[in-house]
Amino acid sequence: MKKLKAETLLFLRCTANSYSQVFFSDNLVFAVLLIMVTFFDAFAGFCGLLSVLITNLLARALHFHPETIRKGLLGFNSLLVGLGLGIYFGPGWLFFLILVLASVFTLFISMSLQGVIGKYGLPALSMPFILSLWLVFLATRDFTALGISDRGIYTLNDLYLIGGNRLVALYEWWNSLAIPESLRTYFISLGAIFFQYSVLSGIMIAMGLLYFSRIAFSLSLLGFYAAYLFYHIIGADLNSFNYSYIGFNYILTSIAIGGFFLIPSRASYLWTLFLIPLVAIITISLNKIFLVFGLSIYALPFNLIVLLFLYVLKFRTRVSEGLREVWVQYNQPEKNLYTFINESDRFRYLQYFPFKLPFWGEWTVSQGHDGEYTHKDEWKHAWDFVIQGNDGKTYKKEGENLEDYHCFNKSVTAPGEGVVEEVVDDVHDNPVGEVNLKQNWGNTIVIRHKDGLYSKLSHLKKESATVKPGDRVKEGQVIARVGNSGRSPYPHLHFQLQTTPYIGSATLDYPISYFIRNTGNGYCFCMHQKPARDWQVSNIQLNPLLQKSFRLIPGQHIRCEYTHNHLPHSEEWEINADAYNKSYIHCRETGAKAYFHNDGSLFYFTHYQGKRSGLLYYIYLSFYKIPLGFYKNLKIDDSYPVHFLFSRTQLFLQDFLAPFFMFLGTRYTLEYLEQDDDMSPGSISLKALITTRFLRQPLKRIPVDITLETGGVYRLEIKAKKDKIRATCTVF
Amino acid sequence: MEKIAFERPFIKKLSAGMPSKFGMKTEIKPVTHIDDVAVEELIQKYGSPLFVISEKTMRETYQEAYRAFSTRYPKVQFAWSYKTNYLDAVCRVFHQEGSWAEVVSGFEFDKALANGIPGNKILFNGPDKPEEYLKKAIEQKAYIHIDHFDELYTLKQLAATLKTRPRVAIRVNMDVGIYPKWDRFGFNYENGEAWDALNRIMISESFELEGLHAHIGTYMMTTEAYGIAAAKLADLATGLERKYGHVIKYIDMGGGFASKNTLKGAYLPGTDTAPSFDEYAEAITSALINSGIKPENLPMLILETGRALIDDAGYLLGTVIANKRLSSGYRSTIVDVGVNLLFTSFWYEHQISPARPTTQHTEETAVFGPLCMNIDVIRESMVFPLLKTGDRFVISRIGAYNMTQWMQFITLRPNVVMIDPESKVHLIREKESLETIRQQERIPGHLQAKKQ
Repeated sequence: MKKLKAETLLFLRCTANSYSQVFFSDNLVFAVLLIMVTFFDAFAGFCGLLSVLITNLLARALHFHPETIRKGLLGFNSLLVGLGLGIYFGPGWLFFLILVLASVFTLFISMSLQGVIGKYGLPALSMPFILSLWLVFLATRDFTALGISDRGIYTLNDLYLIGGNRLVALYEWWNSLAIPESLRTYFISLGAIFFQYSVLSGIMIAMGLLYFSRIAFSLSLLGFYAAYLFYHIIGADLNSFNYSYIGFNYILTSIAIGGFFLIPSRASYLWTLFLIPLVAIITISLNKIFLVFGLSIYALPFNLIVLLFLYVLKFRTRVSEGLREVWVQYNQPEKNLYTFINESDRFRYLQYFPFKLPFWGEWTVSQGHDGEYTHKDEWKHAWDFVIQGNDGKTYKKEGENLEDYHCFNKSVTAPGEGVVEEVVDDVHDNPVGEVNLKQNWGNTIVIRHKDGLYSKLSHLKKESATVKPGDRVKEGQVIARVGNSGRSPYPHLHFQLQTTPYIGSATLDYPISYFIRNTGNGYCFCMHQKPARDWQVSNIQLNPLLQKSFRLIPGQHIRCEYTHNHLPHSEEWEINADAYNKSYIHCRETGAKAYFHNDGSLFYFTHYQGKRSGLLYYIYLSFYKIPLGFYKNLKIDDSYPVHFLFSRTQLFLQDFLAPFFMFLGTRYTLEYLEQDDDMSPGSISLKALITTRFLRQPLKRIPVDITLETGGVYRLEIKAKKDKIRATCTVF
Repeated sequence: MEKIAFERPFIKKLSAGMPSKFGMKTEIKPVTHIDDVAVEELIQKYGSPLFVISEKTMRETYQEAYRAFSTRYPKVQFAWSYKTNYLDAVCRVFHQEGSWAEVVSGFEFDKALANGIPGNKILFNGPDKPEEYLKKAIEQKAYIHIDHFDELYTLKQLAATLKTRPRVAIRVNMDVGIYPKWDRFGFNYENGEAWDALNRIMISESFELEGLHAHIGTYMMTTEAYGIAAAKLADLATGLERKYGHVIKYIDMGGGFASKNTLKGAYLPGTDTAPSFDEYAEAITSALINSGIKPENLPMLILETGRALIDDAGYLLGTVIANKRLSSGYRSTIVDVGVNLLFTSFWYEHQISPARPTTQHTEETAVFGPLCMNIDVIRESMVFPLLKTGDRFVISRIGAYNMTQWMQFITLRPNVVMIDPESKVHLIREKESLETIRQQERIPGHLQAKKQ
């Protein structure tokens, strides 16, 4: 029973998505609106729906990937084929047979295309629809038994049949409305996507588009008018543009390039403006070719240009900040953009190897990347570390002996887990001031952390290595002592990352995952940064209570007793992991999911889905980013994607401007207040502050007092304006 | 032109020592300023004698010590040894730098609490821990370093009545190859007493065994002894893990690091022989890292060094009272600083410097304190410039123990000032007055003057 319900839900969802997917959307309201539009021509609408159903049912029966079906990626091409056939032909047994065959055929092409070009990370777009419809049309010319529909031609007759005089009058009124010619064409172009050549359907689609996405809507206008202007400039036959209603090519190209497959940005908009004339030219030329066969080009120019452009972009050796492909598709340009803005900061290094600093205590960077002495050219991404005394000097006494240097003979630790690749241990330590250019790197240890990722530690003390090639080392394990061998006039530790296992390999520009920087006025937590010259840095010291509190293992549960505005509640959540090994807290009652990541040094929430109230939502906001070391008064900063804190209405204006300028913002701060015991902490108090901002000025603040206790207990007091929550959550 | 200071005439046997490149002169460097504050000015304002503590030196020494250990070992914690100097201002400087407190009496325990140190940052050492303070320590979650079995029994009873598990460590004494061997504190390692204590603690389950403590001696001039002690404690720690699966949270290596003072009878000056923090740190941390303790279980390393952190920061300023020739013809100088204030002169050859530049001429002299007691000798013999009555001098490196072991004997204790890093002078302990002493005294009724 439950399964049947789920299956029905999935089916309804994939049917709806097959409509909205035409505009790359999965918005339900938009889909309903589009379904209504297709039924302006009841028969065509019916044919479209039938095609969708056939396709999705077959796809399900063939056990294609449920997610692909659910998203409507297979259905939307069949929908267009169904609509096209429904408009062109009249009903009849033969027609329905052809409709079924065409739907199945479209599904095959969709799936195959996905298989073929999907490998290159390209979407099938509406190519299946075009191919399928062409082939069917070419063939059906010989099918004399098929009745060609004349509904599209005698609109008034049709309308009279359906709604009598009143509908005809309404239609006349519509057409007589003083809509500028260009706008009329725009609406008709929109309608034409669904073979509905009327202003009304265009307006409804435009409204749906606006409801779905402000960016997509503005892009549709941008694309259309860019083309309109171009036609005007070249003096081309505007009529042909008008007549074949292929204006949607520009609209769809604009949405696809400007906001869907790329992160909406100034650059993506500019590229859109640049590509539209190209689409126009291709439209005209292709029209000439296909006229020979008596075929319409439909959305071919859009498909060609978008696929071409997306494919070409993949060959970039360096991805510029402005023009980025969407990694995770949220099916709405705004969501893609807001998530991107947030995640490009937060998760850029998610997949990076967590390197730590290769020593204990606080050291100073004496030469950073692009250094002034030796970190140049191929070897520019390296660090030299020394220890400074209070006087800023790296040595005591006169600094004439190696032993005078604070860092000399200090332990060198493995920066990460790995296997020792190479060890040089027999180069003598130079007297202070002398360098050994023959054995440039001196005593060196190279560790392999992953394929193609090695770390190298150089100028080590002679015969101090405690590891040999082939040894497996753990992060933080002592592997040698700091010395003064090789090209090193005074003792220091050279640390670099590289892609090849050789001593002398070129360096790799790679960040240190987490470290603490002493700015002189306090400590700050650095995440995936590259220590710069003169920074005083140390590794983060993990706190046992913080470590335990956030070690959430799939299968565990969290029981929450809380009062929400003085009303008692109780919930139980589950820790789960999905097929992609992403862990999340799942609230069964509300269906909300809060995705988190814990790499041993840092706990953070990566995503939340579900309703924007309730305890889990606030937990997501409050535990947004928590380094697992306790540093009293340390402050952590971060920001949320704006659409997680602002409502749709609040974001309405921002959405339009978002690719260019963000005036709304969010901020997360976390402060470490107290811990009851340094040795075995039993309780730690933190204070989170969730702020929404307008032009960087705070709008709304939600302070959250957090106390973590042993036994996996979180106590929270959330003081939002509307929600006053006092909660005690226990992990078990 | 400034008037040249008068120096008395003297007759001295010419003894040619080893000439240096500066000839055969004995240069005695005057100490005219402490942290940019003139000595004369300090005495004018606060009187003579005067204790002066340099906050800057304290902080720098602490940071140097901390750096020496923290760059060699992942988890390091210092605990300020209260008995070395428990003036509140001094303690607070170290606490501000991150030190916990190490106390050896109820009085010190209360003092640490009053300095804002929570119980769970206090290490409670010593052979005498009265029951009421043990109770307090348990309640405040302090770390109690058990010294003997009788204490263990008391603690066990207290744990039962208070229904909490006291956080304890045991103090371990051992042979680390030095003389004298300290075996009066804690449980012996070699004869198995330490294991006996550990077994009882683990089996009784009334304790939270947090760590192990050793304090091998005082003024240790050799670092190897620390290495041996650390290795022996590490051995106990690995044994505990093997036997009970219990991972201890800290190893407390105590203190006893030498300062740069010269011990009586030492052949070379302390500045040349005292090991540096780096050397102590190297010995201790190497022993721990190379021990059988698993890297992920490396316990926190606690250090209770007192002397080496504060000695250099303390100065005692004084004034020459008189010069006098003894019957033997030997020179003596009487100064206003006596053993009542400078307890450490019993074992150190303190360095005394004039507070103004002097000529290269010196004379061997004995330096006597002002007390009317034969034992009041600051230096039996030293090469000293020709100071006269009223001249000021500075005794360096006296920050440790003097301000806790001083005596109110014959005279009163003077002012103590601290010079902050901005060279501002703060009075941190006011000199005693007759009233200070008298207010503690009670006169029985029959001795009080009868009212007429």
